[in-house]
Amino acid sequence: MIPPRRITVVGASRLGCKFASRAARAGHAVTLIDEHPQSLARMSYDAPYFYGTALPAALTNENAIAQVVLESNPALAECFEAGVDLRLGAVAWGAFQNGPNARHIGIPKVGLIEGTGNSLVEHDVLALATGMRDFVPAFAGSNLPGVFGVKAGVAFLDLYQCYEGERTLVLGTSARAVDFVRRAVARGIGIVGMVEPGPGFTAGPEAAAEIAALGIPVHRTSTLVSAEGRTAVERASLRPVTGGGDLVLDCDTICIAIGVLPNIELPAAMGCRLRFDAGAGSWLPETDLTGRTSLPDVFWLSDFAAGEAALAPALAAIAEAGPTGRLIPPPETATGQGAYLRFWIQTMRDAGGDAVTLCKCEDISRADFLGLAPPPYLNGGLRHPHSPVTGTGGTAPRIQQDLLKRMTRVGMGHCQGKRCRDEAALLLSLRFGIGMEEIRPGSYRFPVRPVDLAAIAAEDDTHDTREKWSYWLHEPEAMQSRPDGVP
Amino acid sequence: MMENFDVIIVGAGIVGLSTAWRAARAGARVLVLDKGPTAYEASSRATGYLSLRGETPEESPLAQAAERLWDGLDEELGYPTEWTQKGRLWAAITPQAFDALQITFQSFQRTGIPFEFIDAKTCRELIPALTPHTLGGIHTPRAGHANPQRTSQAFAWAFQDLGGEIREYTPVLDLLTRGGRISGVRTPWGEIHAGSVVLCAAAHNAALLAPLGIDFPVAPVRLEAFVTAPLPPLFDQAFIAHGLAIRQTRRGNIHVNGGPHEWTAAGVATEMPKPTTPLVRNIARRLFEVFPTLRHAQMLRSWAGIIDVTPDQITIVHAFDAPKGLIAASSAGHGFGMSPSLGLALADLALQGRTDMPVASLSLARFADLPQDWRRIWNWQPGSYNT
Repeated sequence: MIPPRRITVVGASRLGCKFASRAARAGHAVTLIDEHPQSLARMSYDAPYFYGTALPAALTNENAIAQVVLESNPALAECFEAGVDLRLGAVAWGAFQNGPNARHIGIPKVGLIEGTGNSLVEHDVLALATGMRDFVPAFAGSNLPGVFGVKAGVAFLDLYQCYEGERTLVLGTSARAVDFVRRAVARGIGIVGMVEPGPGFTAGPEAAAEIAALGIPVHRTSTLVSAEGRTAVERASLRPVTGGGDLVLDCDTICIAIGVLPNIELPAAMGCRLRFDAGAGSWLPETDLTGRTSLPDVFWLSDFAAGEAALAPALAAIAEAGPTGRLIPPPETATGQGAYLRFWIQTMRDAGGDAVTLCKCEDISRADFLGLAPPPYLNGGLRHPHSPVTGTGGTAPRIQQDLLKRMTRVGMGHCQGKRCRDEAALLLSLRFGIGMEEIRPGSYRFPVRPVDLAAIAAEDDTHDTREKWSYWLHEPEAMQSRPDGVP
Repeated sequence: MMENFDVIIVGAGIVGLSTAWRAARAGARVLVLDKGPTAYEASSRATGYLSLRGETPEESPLAQAAERLWDGLDEELGYPTEWTQKGRLWAAITPQAFDALQITFQSFQRTGIPFEFIDAKTCRELIPALTPHTLGGIHTPRAGHANPQRTSQAFAWAFQDLGGEIREYTPVLDLLTRGGRISGVRTPWGEIHAGSVVLCAAAHNAALLAPLGIDFPVAPVRLEAFVTAPLPPLFDQAFIAHGLAIRQTRRGNIHVNGGPHEWTAAGVATEMPKPTTPLVRNIARRLFEVFPTLRHAQMLRSWAGIIDVTPDQITIVHAFDAPKGLIAASSAGHGFGMSPSLGLALADLALQGRTDMPVASLSLARFADLPQDWRRIWNWQPGSYNT
């Protein structure tokens, strides 16, 4: 019998829910945190990143959204029945535990913001099941309403049931793209075509035949140049990757189904060791077959790691408190997604050029990013050109993505790099002929999404944060008390 | 192959890079070595203030020399630093802080810097967004702030434009001496020789000097900061209140730091972990206690940085007699603002053995009576919190 432990699970993904309910049934005290259903205010911050720039009107009814989100996830109901403490509509903005150079955290804790306020939730074990997000590369017109990622598209169709497109162009031919097409067709939505830069069909010949039978044209060896429209998407221009004239398609929505990437912000910002997984085309936390990371009592549950196979071993491993030894890693992700993302970016860059806006938050082009140009507010260039390649290789990285972040501000904006950082790394790799694993990713920071100061502000002062508040190591004689009248 | 340079600088932080640029400009062959990437520690995590060091007469002249150099720096380097020379304001928003500020003002009046004690109304004319609880402040039209990341990189690029070389991920493991002189350094990939070696590696200096029997009194300490998402222009002074340093960047983000600190350890070759803690929640509340209008600003990212603190929190600039040619500096947490003059002083010392910069009172001589276990006595040992 495992002694019961306090387990916090972040993310009501499929894996997160399954793990939470199993752990609760095994007798542990489990808290499950998920940011959905999101408050409207928060969603509108989120919306541009994953849902495109137009929020369907149906999403403005918060109560209705809450209901559909809960009803559509039977695994959540299962958690509820198992006695899991559900914290929904809550942001886990950070996670903290004692380690080198921070020895005063006390009991490990997650920083939580809920509608009712913020708190620090203590745990013995942290399981991160933070899911994945759409990979949404930049192209001319990619910020027009009507452009969204495939995960958002599925949520529009089936979760929120508020899909507003009638003629959708789908980028990519992966299984996920095909799944979206099936769901859209079932709801009577027209698919004007699928775009594939390669000669084949990624989801395989059977899926290709199914799409052909539906009468949906597949534009092979073609890539997207741009989306056009006055106030929303009206047309898309495709170009053969071998060169030649553009094909203009009428459409009102563009679903980007090129790939999905894991949300690694929380484990990365906590300091979990990362490795580059060429198959996934992404940095992933190092884990063993149980999902255990390099940090003690922190597990990462993801389909990019051992997936569902990790759940039972993870539950067993929870009994073994203490520091992590050498990790026996799960096999590399074998999807070939890394090469696929790279091919897409290469063809989109060849077709669209480097004037395309890479960072939508700060409005920085690919060219200015690759050239380390100062951002627009500085109105000036560099006296001499400089290369972002600062390392000679060997065991050391050759490019620091942080240098590019700091100098160009790509990745420094409101989306915290969630839209651009992966494409930015691919562009560097392509432009300078450097392997992705030789590019040190830009640092990850808490909070893992932007949060209101009023929502995150502490009300639980200690002696050190009030009476002994210091400034630059000096204890100002008396800055202690709050100003009169401040609530 | 034997590698030879005129000067090796250990540490590609802002002080090392400023020194390298000055030395290269004087015609020297200069190599900068760092255990990690360029400007990856305190230099890119700093507040970004030039303080005139009114409270410490020993280093105030060097700070004022820096101020003169800051004004032409963008043009000299050829890359923007975002230097903003719009003065500095300390404000009090509680009666206790107001009393403390008046005592501070008395010490400021002993300097030649124009400081003025101003009333609440004048404070809020300078920065209208300040809380109505503001009681008064100290103002100087001098001093300013800049972007630490941009400034560090501007020094790096200007140095490289002169043919200088920065080797990242190349830790210095030992200092080499021959016949009472410094002769170079040892890295994991071999020895590199130079007639002069300048240590600008913050707390790592101590670990490099210890084998030579030299006690270099610095203690590393971790501090925390965050920025908000960009906002419309609110103020452009370097501002301090309520135990926080608060500035608005050229881009519009509000940058804030302050609060309890944790003493840490530093090795020679390893990158120090710099975790953040839930302290940002407390900083956040204090920030909108000062600026009520920021209540619903968005916290965008937080980070921690480790600075090297000297026992009297005053800069160290020391040229050793034995071994000759060895120079070490610690900027005691003031390296960002001081970097232009500190780099000039260190480059002078490395190339000529003397400098006109006012550093005479900054040598190690002042620590002759410092007990060896000063960190233990003061409770500044790794793991001590807010002591």
